[in-house]
Amino acid sequence: MDPVILGIAVVNGIVLGGLYGAIAVGLSLIFGVMRVINFAHGSFLMIGLFIPYWLWLLFRIDPYLSMLVTAPALFGLGYLIQATLIAPLYRRERAMVLEPLSVLMLTAGVGLIIDNLTFMAFGPDFRGITLDFASKALWIGDILNINYTRLIAFLSSIAITVALSLFLGRTDLGRAIRSTAQNRDAASLCGINVMRIYNVTFGLGCAVLGVVGCLMIPFYLVSPSIGLAFGVRSFITVVLGGIGSIPGCILGGLILGVVESVAAQFVTATSASIFSFVIFILVLFFRPTGLMGMKV
Amino acid sequence: MRGQRGILIALAVLAIAAWCPAALAGEKVAEVKVGSVLSLSGGAANQGIQTKTGAIVAAEEINAKGGIPALGGAKITLIFGDSQSKPDVGASETERIIQRESVPVMMGAYQSAVTTVTTEVAERYKTPWLVTGSVADIITERGFKYTFRPNNKAVYDANEQLQAIKTLTQETGKGPKSIGILVEGSDWGKSHATNLRKLAKDLGYEIVLDEAYSPGTVDFSAQILKIKSRKPEAMVIAMYTPDHIVFTKQSYEGRLDVPFGIHSVGAGSEDPNFYKAVPPESVNYMFVQEDFQIDITEVAPWTQAVDKRFNEMLGYGLTAYGAQGYSAVYTIYDVLQRAGSLDKEKIREAFVKTNITSGPALIMGWQKISFDKDGQNLDAHGCVSQNLKGKRSTIWPVANRGQNIKPVWPIPAWKDR
Amino acid sequence: MGGDGTMASQPAPRNQTPAIVGAIALGILLLLPLAVKDEYYLHVCIGMMYFAYMASAWNIVCGYTGQLSLGHSALCGIGGYISTLLFINAGVSPWIGMLIGGVGATGVGVLVGWPCFRLRGPYFALTTIAFAEILRIWTENTEEFLGIQLRGAQGISVPLRGERPWLFQFDGKAPYYYIILGMLLAVMAVTWWMERSRLGFYLKAIRGDQDAAEALGINSTRYLLSAMALSSFLTALGGSFYAQFFRYINPERNMGLDLSIELALMGIVGGQGTVLGPVLGAFLLTPAGEITRATLGGKFPGLHLVIYGLVLVLAMLFLPRGLIQPIRRLLGRRAAPAEGEADLA
Repeated sequence: MDPVILGIAVVNGIVLGGLYGAIAVGLSLIFGVMRVINFAHGSFLMIGLFIPYWLWLLFRIDPYLSMLVTAPALFGLGYLIQATLIAPLYRRERAMVLEPLSVLMLTAGVGLIIDNLTFMAFGPDFRGITLDFASKALWIGDILNINYTRLIAFLSSIAITVALSLFLGRTDLGRAIRSTAQNRDAASLCGINVMRIYNVTFGLGCAVLGVVGCLMIPFYLVSPSIGLAFGVRSFITVVLGGIGSIPGCILGGLILGVVESVAAQFVTATSASIFSFVIFILVLFFRPTGLMGMKV
Repeated sequence: MRGQRGILIALAVLAIAAWCPAALAGEKVAEVKVGSVLSLSGGAANQGIQTKTGAIVAAEEINAKGGIPALGGAKITLIFGDSQSKPDVGASETERIIQRESVPVMMGAYQSAVTTVTTEVAERYKTPWLVTGSVADIITERGFKYTFRPNNKAVYDANEQLQAIKTLTQETGKGPKSIGILVEGSDWGKSHATNLRKLAKDLGYEIVLDEAYSPGTVDFSAQILKIKSRKPEAMVIAMYTPDHIVFTKQSYEGRLDVPFGIHSVGAGSEDPNFYKAVPPESVNYMFVQEDFQIDITEVAPWTQAVDKRFNEMLGYGLTAYGAQGYSAVYTIYDVLQRAGSLDKEKIREAFVKTNITSGPALIMGWQKISFDKDGQNLDAHGCVSQNLKGKRSTIWPVANRGQNIKPVWPIPAWKDR
Repeated sequence: MGGDGTMASQPAPRNQTPAIVGAIALGILLLLPLAVKDEYYLHVCIGMMYFAYMASAWNIVCGYTGQLSLGHSALCGIGGYISTLLFINAGVSPWIGMLIGGVGATGVGVLVGWPCFRLRGPYFALTTIAFAEILRIWTENTEEFLGIQLRGAQGISVPLRGERPWLFQFDGKAPYYYIILGMLLAVMAVTWWMERSRLGFYLKAIRGDQDAAEALGINSTRYLLSAMALSSFLTALGGSFYAQFFRYINPERNMGLDLSIELALMGIVGGQGTVLGPVLGAFLLTPAGEITRATLGGKFPGLHLVIYGLVLVLAMLFLPRGLIQPIRRLLGRRAAPAEGEADLA
């Protein structure tokens, strides 16, 4: 195998992997704080891709600008879903033993609804936008090229992750979220409104997806069917990186991106994702806390 | 036991609930219903919709001229079912249309994977089926009595692509020694690859890349990297519209150089929506093999009226698939006219005796429509065109090549364009 | 209910009404194909019973162990592929191929289940998804394996042979109807038997508190895997039935995550851990798809899945134990089974 080709595969993998990491960050946050496996995570991403798509198609609004609309919209959607659908399950928990799987199935139901309402409204076709500079790439030497829109997405993904870490570490709200994650009852005793924190966290996790969606739409095709695949991939990333670790998410994403990209040169490209699943299973069996996770 | 009452009452409720779906009553009307299952949504939706439009235009024309004389001027009514680009849905829709609408004849379904299954259903219900657009060889290799295919078999497509390459090689003295194959992973792509492999080996080409991708692939970075790595001198691809768009865009971005060109065997590259979605420079010099002569409106002026109607309905002109739908309805018209009856057996016999040598049914550019004992039209053939500065011009067969058309061979590298 | 107000279970006085009602229901189901000649309608009923069967087979492990498997479609696919490949390549009758497929799936199920049962809750669910996806992606991308044509994403068609009962092929729909009805009744009977058997008893203990059960000396692995084996075998049989009835199988439909979610959905919405729950779930949800398709003519594809999602959300919020609960209450039973009492519904 030509080392140059291998090198390019690694670079491609890193660029895509950073993006996967950013997608998974929201899930990691939600799971770390609320122990909720959000099966609708991919569906929210899909909405995060459709909003900038429509804004561009109808009003020619630049997707990087439509973040200003998409992120709050998704925050609101996430907040709403958590407050109205998931919160009641928490209240019930105090009375009876809560099957944690109820939440999983509930979010799966939400995902089904979102995916299929979108399917009914827009049909199954894959849609994309064409920005003027989208075909241009950064060329290194004669053969390595990174498409500009992907490069922007990669760098922004890193930036988002750093910003989120800073937010959690330095701001009051961030600390409130972290303490709720560590010990819900203790946080409550400190005067933190736990249910409100949950709502905000869920909203935040979804808002990140809004930002990422705007970053992706210049080079990624959206269709109502992509939700589930992204959701599953996000779980793998979160587990690999470690629950509750934001940097771990990026690391997990990078590893998966590189592994798949390199594997695609040796096996049928579309079967490369098998390796991600294998890694996932191995991590769960041998190192369940992931690469950088805290002990759960 | 206590529980028994519970289950048994619930069972009763369930059993009664099972009665509820109402049976739709069918009505008999004095018209000819022609059933059509097409991919009206999903990955192959564009082609399905074009076929549907062609059929509608043909039916409109026929009905305007007084319908089918042999059946007392009966009008043709088209009944459409959406396969959603999925074989089992197509099969279900076929059953529904045959059972509920009592159609005497059916057509469709564009995608080979779907048609393979729907023609089985039609065969079981002894309903004649006119294939539109599906090329998988097996469709007319099963000994079926009710399946009739006017268009190319996959093996013709593969052969024509290689013949075009051979012709250009002979004309210029230069040609590829190796070939790469990248196809979509369902029936159509795979059967094309199988045929190519065999024919290419016979002609002495080395196959350096041979890969299929699963449906729903939206990123070809890995495959394009592989092509750069293995360096085939010519690439043959079989892709539906959405995948073709991404592949072409990404090859353009990545400045993928293939010295003797990218040879696309239709579908995506026959779809006007594809050309709208990709930068014009990205498709320059690309070869497209299709069932249809792309510049036919210049060769056969009567087709311009159909082209105009198409523009009115879809916003773009006649395409290969539109022509197929149009041709199919006219063929069925011819068959019904000779059968003089709605009896499926008589219709089947009329199909067998088909011998169309002129008229609107030949809009595809064929010289004749007739069916051999397997239901295959042996006179079907396609054309290969090259995209020269934004205009697709036929370059093969040489007899169909326009006077001033000069193919570009080999293809200039990106840095030289 | 015991007249002295204790929680001890007392058998109710025998009531003949349930038996009569049950017999009528069964009679209707048995006579349906004779009275209704519309093949399309029969087709819909067969679909309903197929899903009821599959949800019940899923329920055998998931309803009684408390673990959520979202990878059951893989077992379905294994069954369908093995019986079909044996038929096409070796001429083995699908009746026999079905059993071989069942054994194969059991092997896979136990092999995968053994390490997985160590994981709890959502991790178990995610791992089952991972295994199923590995199988699906591999199958989708593999043209040929050891000389056998798998045809990847294209899927495999079962060759048309006409009316050949020994080859599990019939011209009409009625024979398929009776076969799946029989399979459904069988799986319900197996579930009923399992609940009352030692296996069921131990599973209940494990489900309640696995650590405590193990402290009492119960070999939880053995019993969990037994339930898994049973469920895998039955699910695979369903896959073979699908192949023979629809005469087409492919990785996306038969090994995909969508199918797994649908089975879990029906089982949970109906009421997992009960005999009738999954059947109820399937019988009420499946017609939604067919009715929307028939009445709206495919104008809103996906509507039935919106309905499924809605029902699932509502069920999780208000009836987490399944729809079977209100039905039980309607019949004057306690909402939950008492300790040590065996359930029918």
